Amino acid sequence: MQSEPVLFELRHVAHRFPLPQGELTVLKDICFSAKEGEFIAIVGPSGAGKSTILRLISGLIHPTEGMILFKGQPLSGINLETALVFQNFALLPWLTVAENVELGLEARGMDIAMRRRKVAFYIDKVGLDGYEEAYPRELSGGMKQRVGLARALAVEPEILLMDEPFSSLDALTSINLRDELLDIWSDRDFPVNTVVMVTHMIEEAIELADRVLVLSSRPGHIVGDMLIDLPRPRDKREKVFSEYVDKIFSLIA
Amino acid sequence: MNTPIGPINPGHPPEIQALPQTGISEILGLVELLKSKGGKEDIYKLAAELKMELGDTLAVIRGAELLGLVHTPGGDVVIEPIGEKISRSRINARKNLLREQIEKLPVFHALISFLKEKDDHQATRDQLLEKLAELIPNENSEQTFTTLVTWGRYAELFGYNDDSQTFYLDSGK
Repeated sequence: MQSEPVLFELRHVAHRFPLPQGELTVLKDICFSAKEGEFIAIVGPSGAGKSTILRLISGLIHPTEGMILFKGQPLSGINLETALVFQNFALLPWLTVAENVELGLEARGMDIAMRRRKVAFYIDKVGLDGYEEAYPRELSGGMKQRVGLARALAVEPEILLMDEPFSSLDALTSINLRDELLDIWSDRDFPVNTVVMVTHMIEEAIELADRVLVLSSRPGHIVGDMLIDLPRPRDKREKVFSEYVDKIFSLIA
Repeated sequence: MNTPIGPINPGHPPEIQALPQTGISEILGLVELLKSKGGKEDIYKLAAELKMELGDTLAVIRGAELLGLVHTPGGDVVIEPIGEKISRSRINARKNLLREQIEKLPVFHALISFLKEKDDHQATRDQLLEKLAELIPNENSEQTFTTLVTWGRYAELFGYNDDSQTFYLDSGK
């Protein structure tokens, strides 16, 4: 991991929103870089600007101060090498599973034969074979999020961004999806291997990530940057695991 | 919940049972959770820990039990070797293992033969609901239908087109 090149970097990034009176500082002096292949989790209370960081990395919004570098180059405009998985799935209800997965590919100007191949490949990868013609309304939350994941993976982004991907799911479904996400991420033949995931659940961050960035709120700033040096699968009942939980909790509280 | 299914006795026609309303992800989550807990947990403790409705938790356990992944002695839920194996497998391997379990269910057998007798190996939603009412009287056919579609799609045994409301044998298998 140490020898991997830096994929992107945030340098003294601040983000402010204008208000009728003055402005609201959402993020203040955010500095961190991510190596290729790293799984980073960002934890913090709501209002700490966690989702804003994802949107800054994707180039959907731009920092008020500071800069973002992608492969050493300053990012301007949308970063097409990112794809986002949403908390509420964000599927189009009138499209089938296969059509939802294809959505991002069409927008990137891929020809139809290639699109169909990619759709079939990623539907298979997330275990959705058999559901191609189903509509989102026919699916459980777990299957909907698999569609969201397949759609993001299908564009083969260099950075997979996940915004609270498991918080709308029941406890058992989220156990299953976390496990399968690790399965996909650890598959080194996969073109997508750098992940940035936002969560408000400390245990989820420690279970999944190589590294946890801890944010404190108002304005959001980094109060901790911790490597999680535990083999996977990680056992919540282990003492080291709860020590990590305590350490992160004390940084936020 | 009160009637553990046990092994199917080949000497007798297997009893066709209604399917609980539960999805594949929940069932997989249950076996993964049990594995991480050493294979066994008290059902009420489990429901409390998961912060899920007891009824929903029981539906998941019932589904996992029908599929032979767990059994429920007393108030506990205990993982079976096949459930353990599934929890250790990767996405597509577990799909194959679970398909083998789904295929064993008598209701799937009955519907596969039913569809094979039909033209084009397909039936309308209404025909299928009627067949289910005949196979499993006194049970909610709509609920079994929903689960059949979910499990059938996952196992690639059945397909269902909600636009045309047709239920069919998945030839992709």
